[in-house]
Parts: sequence; C-alpha cells; structure tokens
Amino acid sequence: MSKADTLGDQLAKRGVSRRAFLKYSAYLASIMALPPSAASALAEGLAKARRQAVIWLSFQECTGCTESLTRARGPTLEDLIFNFISLDYHHTLMAVSGEAAEAARHQSMQENKGKYIVIVDGSVPTKDGGVYSTIAGQTNVAMLRETVENAFAVISVGTCASFGGLPYANPNPTGAAPVTKLVTDKPVINIPGCPPIPEAMAGTVAHLISFGKLPELDHMHRPKAFFGETIHDRCYRRPFYDRGMFAKSFDDEGARKGWCLYEVGCKGPIAYNACATLKWNGGVSFPIQSGHGCFACASPNFWDQGGFYKPLSASVGMSGSVIGGAAAVGAAFGAGAAYLARRRKHTIVDTVSAKDK
Amino acid sequence: MSTPPHGAIPPHPAAYRTGMADAVLREIAGLLDRLIGTGEDGAIDLRSLPMTDADREELKSRLGGGEVRATLDVAGPSTVEETAISGVWWIRHEGADGCIANEQIAVTRIPPILITHPDDLSLGAARLKDLIGADETPPKQETAYEQG
Repeated sequence: MSKADTLGDQLAKRGVSRRAFLKYSAYLASIMALPPSAASALAEGLAKARRQAVIWLSFQECTGCTESLTRARGPTLEDLIFNFISLDYHHTLMAVSGEAAEAARHQSMQENKGKYIVIVDGSVPTKDGGVYSTIAGQTNVAMLRETVENAFAVISVGTCASFGGLPYANPNPTGAAPVTKLVTDKPVINIPGCPPIPEAMAGTVAHLISFGKLPELDHMHRPKAFFGETIHDRCYRRPFYDRGMFAKSFDDEGARKGWCLYEVGCKGPIAYNACATLKWNGGVSFPIQSGHGCFACASPNFWDQGGFYKPLSASVGMSGSVIGGAAAVGAAFGAGAAYLARRRKHTIVDTVSAKDK
Repeated sequence: MSTPPHGAIPPHPAAYRTGMADAVLREIAGLLDRLIGTGEDGAIDLRSLPMTDADREELKSRLGGGEVRATLDVAGPSTVEETAISGVWWIRHEGADGCIANEQIAVTRIPPILITHPDDLSLGAARLKDLIGADETPPKQETAYEQG
C-alpha cells in the first residue's frame, strides 16, 4: 500500500466503496456534534487525504488507553480509523522490537517531517533527570522532546498524559508531569479519561486527517465536541437532582429507584466528558447507568479529590447533616449544590495550576 | 458507607415520552419547506437529541412508512426508509456488532448514500472490462480433451 495514494484509492483497492466513507462520516459527524450535513464534506476530506503517519509513545501508563482504542466498537466501522493511519511506532502493537522498533520511529520522523502526529499515553517522569522510566536507554522526557520536534501535532490520550493522572497523585514520587507542561511549542490536544472514550480518540484523529486542522479546543486543550459538557449536564438522572431526590446509600430505596447519586460521591457536576451520551461497550451503559457515581476520571487530580464516595460538597466544608437538610428543600438544593460543585471544580483547577507552576 | 450491590441496575426512564417527538416534527416541517423553496437538503441527528426510546417510537409511528426501503451492507447493515411524508427519510446505520452507530432524519429527494459515487462508477467500469476480458479468453483445447 503506497502512502502516496489517497485513502479513497487505497481502500477502493480493497473493495471499500465511497458509501463506507459516507457512513463512517455520518457516524463521526454525530459523535463530534457536527451538523449532519457536514458528513459529506468529512467523507470527501477523508477520501482525498493521505494515510496519516502516527507515532505512539507510551510512558508511565497501564496500556488501558490502547486497550480502549483497540477494543472500540465495530469491528468494521470503527476499524476504518486504523485504515486512515499508519501506526509507525507503538510498543504494544508493533511487530518489531528493540533497535528495529527505534529505527522505525526515526524513519517515520524523517520521512514525514512536519506532518506526523505524536500520540502520547502516560505521564512523563521528570524527577532525578527522568530516570524513573526509560525506553531503549532513553528517558521518557528525552524521547518526547526528540519525537515532537518535527511533529505536526501532539495528542495526549488518557488522564495521565493530559493531567498527570495516577502517577501525578500525591506524593508524586517520580515528578510525573503532563505533556502540556513539557511541550509548549506544538499544538497539543488532550483527550483525558481513565481510559478515554475510544470514539473521542478516533473522532479527533479523523478530524485532523480530514480537515487538516485541530478541532475546537477548550482552555484545557480538550476537544469541545467531547468535553464541552459535564456528565451531569447530560445525565439521565439529572431530573432527580433538580428535584432534590438523592440515593443516600447504594442499597437504599433511592438507589433502587434510580435517583441521583450526588450524595454517594458522584462527581458528574465537575466531570467534563461524553460518557452520558456516547456511553461504553458499544453504547450499552456508563457508570451512573450501572448504579455507581462518576469518578471524574477525565478531570485533573481525580485521585486526590478526597475520596470517591464523598459528596463534592463535603470537601468544601459542608457537613452531612447540612446536605441532608438541604436535600429536603428539593429543587432549591439543586441550585445550591451546583454552586458548590462549581466552587469545587474551580478549587481543583486552581490546585492543578498551582502545582504546575 | 455501603457498597454498590452486585447486579443492581437502576431503571432507565426509556419508556417516558418527553414531547420531543412534537418538536422534531416541527423541525422536519421547517426543513421540508426549505427543500421545496430552495432545494437545500436538511438532516436531524436523532442520537444527539435527548430522546427516549418511547420518543423515537412515537416519532416513527407518526411519520409512518413510505414506498421505499433500502438495505445496505456497508461496514455493517444500514437501512434507508422513506416515511409516509415524501422527501423525509429515516436512516439508520449499524456497526457490524448490531449497535446503532447513527440514526438520522434526512430531508432530501434522495439520500446521498444511495447514489453511486463517481469514483465507484469508474472502478465498476474497470471491473466490468476485466470481467468481459476474462470471458473472451478462449478455453484451452487440450484441457477440454483430457477431461472429456
């Protein structure tokens, strides 16, 4: 398969018709909140694009992000994304190893200078010269700096690469840092989540390929299409929150009736992600639908928020009895809780900013 | 603090009707007027709307079934159906796993996915020529005698 051919030419040789592009683009437009009419332009863009060189760097991570992407729903529809990219380097997925693997990375960097995309999963250890994680004798910091030098853009997948994640949690023994702290002269897109939603990864890459530019990002470098709203905004249990109807424990009447999980620790109000709409496992469910609160795993410092089962409001000085009393006033509490959630969200964001300085 | 009981999945309010079907019908009417007036196609992405299953059923029932129904086998099954309202199509794309990947109302004379793309036309013509060329190759006489 020649890289000079367009994606349309390449896939046509394998019997993939332009209808497949149109169908995939309709799906992408839907998940990326583009108007349905954008599907045709997206399909034409993809068909005319060249295969995109991608170098995937795995640092302090658990491989969950790769698992998420490779187990994306499909197989045929989501698998199309793998036809659109040339995954030139990926520790877990590539066949070669050792010096041959590193040679493949350097070859791709040379052949696709200024055009390749670097995907990073995992945070980058910086303490003591970065010795806590090395690949082929090279520290993660050095490999990152070398690889991004001539990249078109960098995509940080997962909360570890985006915000530090688990390695960044107190006391952060390795001096773990997110990519945005180390790469300041290239466009960086953050797709946080532990793991990130596969459609968010595939959709962002497809957007880059078909339009040749970055999707619209928020102040934390996240694509607004997937991170523009909180879980709480699109949660099907939201009407219970607005009426002040809360489960007090995981086995009480409220839990059985599907009431809001705010008081048992749901972090939905501060969690910017698309789980409530895209869901998981082929759209089957998401944590709240399965009866458990959201951890806000795509948020900065989610490991250091004071406990997964503590209400958001508790950690900013509100006692349990106050919560209970406030809940009794129903909808009025919804507004109060939302205010507290916003305060909490700002506290978390400020904490991250302070730690990064 | 109690822990989540195993297997306790709370109810999802999928059976409730929210009135969203009425709103979508009005939007369709606006798109149809635009198609008639300017020739511009329109579409509504049903999966991006906070519709329940009951809302979708209501909408489908009120739009009714039309004269055309096409099934496609493209990276998983798809169905394209014209509703009882001419020019209003219900399109449903599924992945190979049977999960719905996209569901939309298209307001158009013909949905683009049913039209053969010019690039596919050229490929089809090339394949046909190969086919004709293969048919015109004379059979090997020796082989025929040996078998007979």
